[in-house]
Amino acid sequence: MEKKHGPAKGNSYGMVIDLDKCTGCGTCMVACSAENNLAVRPDESDKQRSITWMRLYKVTNGKEFPHAEVSYFPRPCMHCDHHTPCVSVCPATATETDYHTGIVSQIYTRCIGCRYCMAACPYHARTFNWWDGYFPKGKGLERYLSPEVSPRMRGVVEKCTFCHHRLMRAKTQAYAEERKELEEGEYITACTEACPAQAITFGDLNNPEHKVTRLAKSPYAFRLLERLGTEPKVYYISTKDWVRKLGDNYLPGEFKPISTVKAG
Amino acid sequence: MELNRRNFISLMVGGVAGLHITPLPWKLTDDIAIWTQNWPWVPVPPVGAFNKVKSVCTLCPGGCGIEVRRVDERAVKIEGRTDFPVNPGGICPVGMGGLQLLYNEDIRFTRPMKRVGPRGSGQFADISWKEALGLLGERLSGLRKAGTPEAIAAIDGNPCRSTISTLIERLLKALGSPNYLRTPSVEDTYSLVNLIMQGTEGPMAYDIENSDFILSFGSGLIDGWGSPGRMINAWGMWREPEMRGKVKVVQVEPRASNTASKADQWIPVLPGTEAALALGMAHVIIKEGLYNREFVNGFTSGFGEWSSLVMKQYSPTQSAKITGCQADEITALARAFAKSKAPVALCGRGKGTLNGSLYEFMCIQSLNALTGGLNRIGGVLVHEPLPLGPLPEVTFDEVSRAGIQKARLDQAGTPRFPYAQSLTSLFSKAVFEGKEPAVDTLLVFGGNPVHTLPDGGLFRKALRNIPFVVSFSAFRDDTAMFADLILPDHSYLEKMDESIWPAGIQYPLYALSRPVVKPLYDTQHCGDTILHLAKQMGGSIAASFPWKGYEEILKQRVKGLFDSAKGLVTYKGTNPVWKTMQKTQEVTPDYKSFDEMWNKLKSGGLWFRPAHSYGRWDTIFKTATGKFEFLSSRLQLAVQSYLRQNQADIALAGMGIGAGADAACLPHYEEVKQAFNAKDYPLTMVPYEIINIASGWIASPPHLNKTIFDDQLLKEDSFAEINPKTASQLGLKEGDLVFIESPAGRIQVRINLFDGAMPGAVFVPLGFGHIGYDEFTKGKGANPNYIISPQMDPLSGQPVWWKTPVKIIKV
Repeated sequence: MEKKHGPAKGNSYGMVIDLDKCTGCGTCMVACSAENNLAVRPDESDKQRSITWMRLYKVTNGKEFPHAEVSYFPRPCMHCDHHTPCVSVCPATATETDYHTGIVSQIYTRCIGCRYCMAACPYHARTFNWWDGYFPKGKGLERYLSPEVSPRMRGVVEKCTFCHHRLMRAKTQAYAEERKELEEGEYITACTEACPAQAITFGDLNNPEHKVTRLAKSPYAFRLLERLGTEPKVYYISTKDWVRKLGDNYLPGEFKPISTVKAG
Repeated sequence: MELNRRNFISLMVGGVAGLHITPLPWKLTDDIAIWTQNWPWVPVPPVGAFNKVKSVCTLCPGGCGIEVRRVDERAVKIEGRTDFPVNPGGICPVGMGGLQLLYNEDIRFTRPMKRVGPRGSGQFADISWKEALGLLGERLSGLRKAGTPEAIAAIDGNPCRSTISTLIERLLKALGSPNYLRTPSVEDTYSLVNLIMQGTEGPMAYDIENSDFILSFGSGLIDGWGSPGRMINAWGMWREPEMRGKVKVVQVEPRASNTASKADQWIPVLPGTEAALALGMAHVIIKEGLYNREFVNGFTSGFGEWSSLVMKQYSPTQSAKITGCQADEITALARAFAKSKAPVALCGRGKGTLNGSLYEFMCIQSLNALTGGLNRIGGVLVHEPLPLGPLPEVTFDEVSRAGIQKARLDQAGTPRFPYAQSLTSLFSKAVFEGKEPAVDTLLVFGGNPVHTLPDGGLFRKALRNIPFVVSFSAFRDDTAMFADLILPDHSYLEKMDESIWPAGIQYPLYALSRPVVKPLYDTQHCGDTILHLAKQMGGSIAASFPWKGYEEILKQRVKGLFDSAKGLVTYKGTNPVWKTMQKTQEVTPDYKSFDEMWNKLKSGGLWFRPAHSYGRWDTIFKTATGKFEFLSSRLQLAVQSYLRQNQADIALAGMGIGAGADAACLPHYEEVKQAFNAKDYPLTMVPYEIINIASGWIASPPHLNKTIFDDQLLKEDSFAEINPKTASQLGLKEGDLVFIESPAGRIQVRINLFDGAMPGAVFVPLGFGHIGYDEFTKGKGANPNYIISPQMDPLSGQPVWWKTPVKIIKV
């Protein structure tokens, strides 16, 4: 019998986000919302209720004027490889780590809305639909919805799918051209494509020739809450120590600035 | 069967076991789940054939290439084009959310309307196009018959030099009114600086991709300045691992904006003192002989006068005193700048939606001149304007001939404001203060002056004195709420329009957008509306507009490109233009006939000339001296002609110039004078722009609301950023509800403590506080424009919006 859980054996799609390049413009969030039929409510300032798959976090270096600085963390679903927290708790098998792609799926029609996965996710990558999508009659907003992604209904949890439908699209194309393997760049997420700074790189982490694999090995690369051991497939790059330090919780003196890392 | 304990338990256990075997409860649960997830009101997007349409985004003057994914005829997603030279694949968040501006009936006008409720209530009744044009035509003809065509005014927010603007200006001329106004933009100040110092009329063209030291005086390089698709791409390029340490970006501004935070160095200066910093740098560069001698000695005039002014008044210590930075910081910056291979100094605050200060821009451009950065690779390129074909002369009749001779209400072009084209603040003032209504009918095109003019709400008040306001807007924007008649335009994805030389691009580019979807409603292209109106009014007006449709006019203008310039209409996306143009002086057109060019332009949306001849310092300047003028002969002329009319001592002060006669025509620092006691208003309000809120005419697409942090907007309140130290002095804490009060009024905001905010200043975001549009936008946050008490920038006459004295009162 095929092994169900554990690191992806086929492709392992992942992402590297260069925070030095990221300008915090939010295009990734908008592209994601537009691509994945996210509904907008009249009040999106309530961040507990606001539905986002890709969310931008603003961080500051904590220094006083004139040394203060801001930076941003774009945060999609991490598509954890190891003991994927949401998958291991879901009672309805509504979320699964795909063995062939490494993508953590979310099946809305299976979801029973218990929100256990939201509690389990260390990254707050999941949001719950307290209401049906806001598409009031007579406004005509529903006309821009894409048929590739089903709009969600109230009572289910949703999250980033690495634009899984784009993988399907690329595979269909490859199939039509009688190819088995996808080329690098043939399947990328909407946020990757949209980023005007080209800060996001997407590809197969199991393929050593993909740019994403090379970047993930950068000495400046890190993952969020890496020591939880969930093996996220989203990497960040920053040359700034204070930004990298925010990627995890460190005891005093525990964080090693890059100069010492290099020396060590 | 006897009901005893044993049987009862058997029955129960059997029942429970049986229940698990029968499929019924599982089937029922499943059915319920499916039923609850198939509410009829959850939309099911119709399927169809996918196709793509290439076009150009015309939401801002940035001119990014877009590709719209469609399902049959329905647009479902906007993406960036990789075969467009401006933006290699990426676009900004506003452009990305553009479909929500198309498919939203609550923010659009779907047919012509006339006002039925009180002004500002947004109550309109449907009318037909015939009726609407009839109403307007009658009104305009009536004014002309009465011999008062100057009582017609137009305010235009369309991009500079665009065909639609040309057409609107033409309409006003044909009607006989001199009162054609444009909303202020950074392009006005750029044009003025280029004209005054270089005598050139082409746009500001920064070759930033080839520069190795980018010194930005408040330009929000990644906050929406210039063409965002291009700027952010360049930013990403500078941050490539192999580029580390090769390009330096320095940001000068009082707040840790994204640009300041992400730059290599941030130099906070007191609001409005950027010019003094530039002059302090110039002092060091001149003193240490770091300037480009070949250029300065051979191709500039007035260097002697200017350098003696700079040496006398702007030493690093003096400059430090004005700007609030350290003297050695200024010295180090000046050295680093001048010693770089290809430094460039940029001006234009924030996104560049609003004007800048003329003297400040002159000081900054002088830094480029000092380092020989004009028309040099990686500097500021000097160009001719796009050679668009001219339109035939306007046909005048007696009424219009007499009308256009009358004085403009805003005094632009008079000896007091010699080089100003349009002064909205003075226009509003004249209309507001006039006893008789000076303007009877105001036509509003492609802009939202009620929201965007930094005039303390003066324009909105002036509207009360205008009996008839006509909006040509596609949107239910703030200004349209005050209109009496609506002649709605198509939305940008439904029409053919152009982007002429996207902001800041270093090579000539003409982009043409095309309809991505067929018009959804009973709207009409604004250009065609003008043609219909002219035709209906007949006589000399109809004769001035002989075209059948707007496309014909575009074609006529584009013919000029074909005739006089050699360019390309296709771009492969393999080699960026900023790289190839270094080695290219001329290109061979990839079209043979005009028809071929026009058809390719219509489908690809692009004409550009990826070639440039650098240097040529002996021929590029069109000033009286034929050189780059530190001492501007045009300004000297202007000041002298004003002096002739007025006594010398009051003359300069009358022009708003604080410096003496010797400095008046040189780049220098002017302190903004405030008319009130500084003690009453101890803080300075600085409005700022962020890229994920549309701050101009267009409303933010609702998707963008997700990107706004809850320390920027919470429910109905937007936040003012203030330094924690200043806040503690005022007894304020995070989230406090306060009024910010200026002499012009007050707005209500919440306090956001931010260490990146300069002490003593209050930073308020632009783009909030709409009174138009729909529930996603309307009534959210406060608009700082409403409390800007507009001081006047010397000479240019434009509003000083970047610095307003305020106080904070706790609610």
